[in-house]
Order: sequence, then structure tokens, then C-alpha cells
Amino acid sequence: MTHDDKHDDHYHPPGLQHQFDDMGQQMDSVTIGMWTFLAQEIMFFGGLFTAYLVFRSRFPMAFAAGSNHLDAFWGWLNTLVLIVSSLTMALAVFYAQKGNRNLQVVMIILTMIFGTVFLGVKAIEYTDKYNHGLVPVDGWNKVVPEGEDHGKEAARLSLPFETTVSAAESADGSDKPHPNPRGEFQITDADLDLVTMAQKEGFLTESEKIGYFSNGELDPEKVKGKVQIFFWIYFVMTGLHALHMVVGLGIMLWLLVMAWRNTFSADYYSPVEISGLYWHFVDIVWIFLFPLLYLLGRHFLAGGH
Amino acid sequence: MSEHQHIGIPGYLGVFAFLFIATIITYVVALQDLDGMFFPGANTLVALAIAFAKMTFVVLFFMHVRWQSRLIWMAVVSGFFWLAIMFAYTLQDYLTRSVIGY
Amino acid sequence: MENVDSINTGEEKGEEKVNYLTNGFSVKSWLLTKDHKRIAIMYLISVSVFFVLGGIYAGLIRLELLTPASDLLESGSYNKVFTQHGVIMVFFYLIPAIPAVLGNFLLPIMIGAKDLAFPRINLLSLYIYWVGGSLTLFALMQGGVDTGWTFYTPYSTTFSNSFVMLVGLGVFINGFSSILTGLNFIVTTHTMRAPGMTWFRLPLFVWAQYATSLVMILGTPVVAITILLLAVERLTQTGIFDPALGGDPILFQHLFWFYSHPAVYIMILPSMGVISELISNFSRKKIFGYEFIAFSSIAIAVFGFLVWGHHMFVSGQSIYAGLVFSFLTMVVAVPSAIKVFNWTATMYKGSISYDTPMLYAIGFLGLFLIGGLTGLFLGSVGLTVHVTDTYFVVAHFHYVMVGGTVLGYLGGIHYWWPKMTGKMYSEFWGRISAMLVFIGFNLTFFPQFILGYQGMPRRYAAYPEEFQVLNIFSTAGASVLGIGMILPVIYLVGSLINGKSAGPNPWLLPGLEWRTSSPPPTFNFEKTPVVTWEAYSFGEDSGLDIEEARRESTVSPTA
Ligand code: HEM
Ligand SMILES: [Cu+2]
Repeated sequence: MTHDDKHDDHYHPPGLQHQFDDMGQQMDSVTIGMWTFLAQEIMFFGGLFTAYLVFRSRFPMAFAAGSNHLDAFWGWLNTLVLIVSSLTMALAVFYAQKGNRNLQVVMIILTMIFGTVFLGVKAIEYTDKYNHGLVPVDGWNKVVPEGEDHGKEAARLSLPFETTVSAAESADGSDKPHPNPRGEFQITDADLDLVTMAQKEGFLTESEKIGYFSNGELDPEKVKGKVQIFFWIYFVMTGLHALHMVVGLGIMLWLLVMAWRNTFSADYYSPVEISGLYWHFVDIVWIFLFPLLYLLGRHFLAGGH
Repeated sequence: MSEHQHIGIPGYLGVFAFLFIATIITYVVALQDLDGMFFPGANTLVALAIAFAKMTFVVLFFMHVRWQSRLIWMAVVSGFFWLAIMFAYTLQDYLTRSVIGY
Repeated sequence: MENVDSINTGEEKGEEKVNYLTNGFSVKSWLLTKDHKRIAIMYLISVSVFFVLGGIYAGLIRLELLTPASDLLESGSYNKVFTQHGVIMVFFYLIPAIPAVLGNFLLPIMIGAKDLAFPRINLLSLYIYWVGGSLTLFALMQGGVDTGWTFYTPYSTTFSNSFVMLVGLGVFINGFSSILTGLNFIVTTHTMRAPGMTWFRLPLFVWAQYATSLVMILGTPVVAITILLLAVERLTQTGIFDPALGGDPILFQHLFWFYSHPAVYIMILPSMGVISELISNFSRKKIFGYEFIAFSSIAIAVFGFLVWGHHMFVSGQSIYAGLVFSFLTMVVAVPSAIKVFNWTATMYKGSISYDTPMLYAIGFLGLFLIGGLTGLFLGSVGLTVHVTDTYFVVAHFHYVMVGGTVLGYLGGIHYWWPKMTGKMYSEFWGRISAMLVFIGFNLTFFPQFILGYQGMPRRYAAYPEEFQVLNIFSTAGASVLGIGMILPVIYLVGSLINGKSAGPNPWLLPGLEWRTSSPPPTFNFEKTPVVTWEAYSFGEDSGLDIEEARRESTVSPTA
């Protein structure tokens, strides 16, 4: 861009962009800008949280059943992983302010490692859902042919860990998966039991009394539809969250290069600061996703009412 | 705002410790039947209360809002305020239906 | 007042100074520019293209409705045509028009800044707009969608063709252009104001842009995620909206209108900002109740989020919710009414000059009044049941969107044209076109109130015989309106070639934007201005020498 520099012939610190007068103004602008962006992000995820709220308030049992198919341990582990990464991120900002290049680089790398671990765990979980017929789109699950004697191995992608608590295992408690010749979304008898239990105890909501039954009889298809909605929401929410993690990792990579080149100092560290804000925000989203998706309704497993 | 204010390494570790413990508590508590012990919805309430506490710590200390200008506080608050509007006015419909579909 | 004189950049007459237009002529110097003024010009061209496209679709609709039978278009194509019209006009013209063109160009100048806070993000928002726009156009050309601009499920998830996904993606992407513009404006208004430019010295146009930006930031992401969910639902054939798939269509409407009602304020607020400028400046009188107008913009932005349910009175939402939303709809009309009152009071005993921009502003006052009042009819739970989904609604929103937003936009374009291009257009043709637009508009849409009240439903290609007379009126009016809209394109472009040079301050006004050359230099001012005057002060204290400005200006406004 060709500009006549008449107006800014004063001292020009490195990192100061032409439209600003001084570093203070630039720092203020980027900070306000990032927070405005985060307000936008709140509303972006907010639409999903509203959908969750509406469906969960109407079908708590189906959502409890869905939660129980998730592995709370993995969710819990991932929460810890993200919290640690938030700590290292905060420390990266701290060392950038101090102008300590080495520790800054170390902290950014650590943050990236934990971010990657998070995504790895997510991948394990997703694969597991795929193996157990819990992807809410018919035909998008692993095909398990009928009538074969499928051992555990045959039916799964080989995973280092066995994760899902109660997904579509056979009703007899053996470890064999349900046959799923068309890769459909499936639920288990345990899910239906949960509904029956709630019905007996008398705490089905008005919507549930209509939404699970046909002609007064428990209708597995209808229950399945509601659990399917849970999983649809689960995949969209965690998927979008994971996407934000991927973007965050990209930002970290860029920061790493900048930090490596020793760009940041006590006077100029706003890129680290605002990237940190983004990273912490993504962490906060997970802080809510974890209880909402993994934990609520889990006490029913504990023998509940 | 250009003053860098933060709580120093011990402070950061302290916040982290809180988050860590809260995460363990939330997991353990979720397996107990609080609904049965206290009142329906107790499990949900506790889980969300813990999540809010964790969020507050992250926002105040990791994100340095504690030392930020009023404007930043307003950005944070209005984000949540608008979220609350969306929740409240949507539920205002759902919770007052005489007949809820299907 | 030494500091003020130095900003008055009319000196060096005769010698050509470099301005933002002459600062580089290559394509690259445009496409990679960070100058908010060049970005605004590219936006101007882009939204004009969309406006013309949308206008062509509108013409098709009116032609079809000339006769009761669906003869020109069969109903399938008719559905596509009105959908295309709506999608293009709402998402790609009305929403970006004033913020991205006039706001982009003027906001930094009005507050005395060199540029927006984030010039690169500004450029990015333009590219996002192009990508979203092209995607949508591509889908519309390929197959088109027939859901209406509201994308209601289950039309969109089950019955429409799969181009719904592409159009949805286009709208989704385009949303981020809006968000980024809003973000830029908010930050710029907070941190980039020139020395002395306090919040209550800001032109009301800036306040309006600020309020608009709030809505963009807090509303747009919700529609973005909603449309994205809809597209995913269309793709996977499972989801949460379509009742056939176990979903809840009313949830879609809640999420959609959570944004789309506030979105009507994204369209009208900036226009109100333009009107505040025009009314005060062309009455040469300080605006009546500056604070009231400023805060009513913010109030509209906030309360605008509490009324979305008035689009869902007959959707099956609870009666209680309907009552609350109805009540709040009455409340949100108050700040709009305050504005109309203050504009009128400003004109009272002012020395009004009836130049083209002012003609548009006065037209706005009348039409917005009718639009707003019929909005109140529609907002009352009882009456709306009778007129929902009839031409009454169509007339209502055209009175506010065309009578409000488009007139404000055209008024603003005429008002700031000399600043943007340095050239003066033909005042004669300007007035003619303003008149044509006003007359044509009323002829087009007033009959639709009657049609709607008599029960003609919207969104059908055919209608009973007895509605034909009024429909012919409407189509005739549309032709007049069309001519009124084509004229400015001709004489404005013509003015670039043979228009008189405008000089820095053709309207002899005190605002900051009139204290730099026309067109302004790349960084807007030779020297950062220091503001010592209140907004809209026409007397001595503005520090502006009117006599000198008159001498410098080659055209002077009619008095
Ligand atoms: C005084 C303020 C206003 C009030 C009280 C008001 C009220 C309403 C109501 C109640 C409806 C629903 C009608 C129905 O479907 O039965 C409606 C529809 C509509 N309004 Fe307004 N309105 C106001 C201002 C505006 C403005 C400023 C705009 C745009 C710039 C606008 C654009 C629309 C649109 C596009 C629709 C139709 C949406 C659709 O169904 O396609 N309104 N308005
Ligand atoms: Cu509305």
C-alpha cells in the first residue's frame, strides 16, 4: 500500500499498525475486539445450548439414556486435559509479558500437546460411537452383519481401550455387539428400562408421556428417536467445539513461530494475550459441555429412584 | 490496561488446583443420587453450579478480567445476558404450553 | 480555533492532490487495499449488483400478479422467484447496504480516525461477503430454492431440493461478514475517536452504527448456527427441527426469529442514523433531543431482542408467550416513535432546503410512520390472526424496508456522493427520481394493505378475480418505482463523467466529514483533527467559516 507518511513521521515502534497512534491504543483495540468476538461466540454456541435446553427439559429420560452411553471417564479426562492446557496457556502469556522467550515457547508447545491429546481422546470416543451404532445417522455406523459370530475384535476398529459403557451390547450382557447390518442408529434395552423405571416412579414429563408411548404402550422406536436427538446434539456440539480446538491449534502454531522469533516483549504481547482469551473460551465451553452431555442423568445408573 | 496485572505463578497454580479439584468433585457427585437425597433437579443444580464456579475462575484470573476496564466487564456480562434472554424467552413459550406437541 | 482552521483542507487549489481514488490505479491496489473508503466503494458496487438482481425478481413477481391466473410463472417457479427475491434483498442488500457502504466510508471520517481499527478484517469481511454471495447466487442459478427467505422447516428439510444446503451455507458464510463489520465498528468507535470527539459529540449516524453493530454481534451468530444446523439436518436426514424426523419446527422459528427480528433493526437503525443527519443538516438546526435519539438507538438494539415471538403468533407457541411478545412489541415501538417525534421537532422552524437527500428523508418520515404503525397492528395478538400471512404483512414490511431502509440508503448516497466521488450530480434529476420513488412506492404497496385486509394471502401465484384491480395498481406502481430506482444509477454514474466538482463542503455543513477534501485523502485528514464543537452546531461555535466554505464550494445548496 502506498501511503504518504506525512502524518506518522514520529517514532514507529515495531508491531504498531499504521491506523493506530500508539501501542496503548492498539492494545486496547485488540483486547476489546477479542472480547467482542467472544461475545459473538457465546451466542454462536448459545443457539446449540438453547436447543439442548428445549429438548432436555422435555425429554430428560432420553437424555439420561444418551448420557449413559457416553464414557464419563473420557469426558472427565478431557476436562482435566483442557484445564491443564489453560494453565499452560496462561503461563505462556505470563512469560511473554516477561519477555522470556524459552519458557514462552515451552508453554506454547505444552498447550499444543494438550490440545492434541484432547482431540485424540475425542477421536477415540467418536470411533467408539461409530462401532456401537450410536452415530445418529442411519447408515453412518459400523456395519455388523447378522448371524456371524462376531468376536469383540471383529466388530470393532481395533482400539487401544475399551471405552463405551453400555452401548449397543447384547442384552444378555455378553460383550458381543448387536448385529447392525445397515449401520443404523441403535439403542439398548437398558434405555427402555430407564423409561419404564421413570414411569413407575411417576416422574415422566408431560412431553415424555406422549413422546415415548403409542396407545399407552412403550414404543421403542419413539424412545429411540429421542435418544437419537441427544446424539445429534452431542455430535454437533462436540464437533463444533473440536473445530474450535483445531482453529486454536492453528493459532498456537502461528504464535509458536512468532515466539520463536522472539517477537514478544513487555511492550508487545497482545497476540499471545488475545489468543489466550480464545483458548480459555474454548475451554469454558467444554467446562459446560462436560456436565451437560456426560454427567446429567448418570446418577440413574447409581440405582437411582 | 497496558499494566500487566496477573496473580503470578503461585496464583495461577492455585486457580489450577481449584479447577482440578472441582472437576474431580463434579464427577464424583454426578454418580450420587442427589435428586433422591434432596430434591428433584439437585444433581443438575450442583453440576451447573460447579461449572459456573469453574468458569468464573477462568474468566477472572486466566483471562485477566479482574483487572480489565469496565468496558470488558460489560462485554462479558452482555454476552451472558443475551444468552439468558434467549433461554428465558424461548422457555417462556415451552414451559407455558397447555398442550405440548407429540 | 487555530486547530480547526488547519483541518479545513481546501488550500492548494488547482494543484491536484492525491486522494484515496487516485492513490494507485492497479487492480491489486483495489483488491488488496486496506483503505476503508475503497472497501466501501467495492461494497457499493457489490450491493448494487445484488439490488438490481433482487429488483429483477421483484419485477417478475409483480408481472405474474398482474393477472389472477398463474400464467407467466407456474407456482413452483413463482415460489422460487419470491424466495430468491427475499434472500437476495434481505441478506445481500438490506443488511449490508448502509453499514458496509456508508458506515464503512464515513464512520472513521466522522470520528476523525485514519481508518477502522482493523483494516484487514474489514477487507476480509468484503471477501466473505463475495464468497457467501457467489455461493448463494450459484445455488439460486442452478436449481433455486422455494422455501421463502425464512427457510422454515419442514419445507427446507424435507420438501425443497438439496440446494437449500448451498443457499444456507451462503447465508451462513455471509453472516460472518456482518459480524466482522460490526466488531470493527464497535472497536473503532471505542478506541479511535479523535481528541475532543466525546461520545456525545458523535454524529447520530455513528450512534446508529454502533447500535446496529451490537445487534450484528449478538444476533447474527444465532442465525448462523441455526442455518448451519438446518443444512446438516438436510444432509443427514436426522435432526432437531423437522417434525417428520422427530424434531421441533417451532424451535427453528424461535432461533430464526431471535436473529431475524433484530435483523430488521440491523436494516432500519443505520437508515435512522442517516435520516438524523439529513433532517438536522438540511434544516440547519441542531437536532432536537440529541441524547434521546442516541439512546433510543441503543434501546431499540436491546429491546429488539425481546419481541421475536410476534412472528410466531399463529405457530403454536403458548398463549402466554404470545401475550408477552405482543406487549413487548408495543414497548419496542416507543423508541422508534421518539425518533420520529424528534425529527419532526427538528424540522419545526428550521430553515429547510429541499435538496434531493432531504426529499428522501421526508419521504422516509411518512413511509416509516405508516410502516411502524401497521407493525403495531400486526403486533397485537388479536388483529394479527386476521392478517398474518396476507398482503397486509407484505405491505407492512415493505413500508419499513423500502420506505425506511432503501429511502434512507438513497438519501445517504445522494448526500455523501459529493464526498465519496468529489462530483455533484444533477439536482434536477435527483429530485425527479426522489418524487418517482415516493409516488411509485405508495402506488405499489398501499393497495397491498387493502388486499391483505380483504384476505389475499401472500406467497401464491394465483388469486381470485376480485383482487385484480388493486393488483394492477400495484404492478403499475412497481413500474414507476422501478424507473425511479434506475434513474439514480444513470445520473449518478453520469456525474462521474461530467459532474461539477463538488469541493470539500458543498452543503456548507459543520460535520467532520465536510472538513476534509472531496474525495478525502487516503488517511482521511491531513492532520488528526481536534474537535472543539458539539455535533450539529451551525453557529459560530462550529468553528466553520461558512462564507469561506461558500466561496470554495462550486455548487451551493438551494435555500
Ligand atoms: C415499529 C416497529 C415494528 C413493529 C411493531 C413490527 C411488527 C411486526 C409484526 C408483528 C410482524 C409479524 C406479522 C405477521 O407475520 O403476522 C412483522 C413482520 C415483519 N416485519 Fe415488522 N415491525 C416493526 C418494524 C419493522 C422494521 C423496521 C422492519 C424492517 C426494516 C420490519 C420488517 C418486517 C418483516 C420483514 C416482516 C415479515 C417477516 C416474514 O414473515 O417474512 N418490521 N412486523
Ligand atoms: Cu419482527
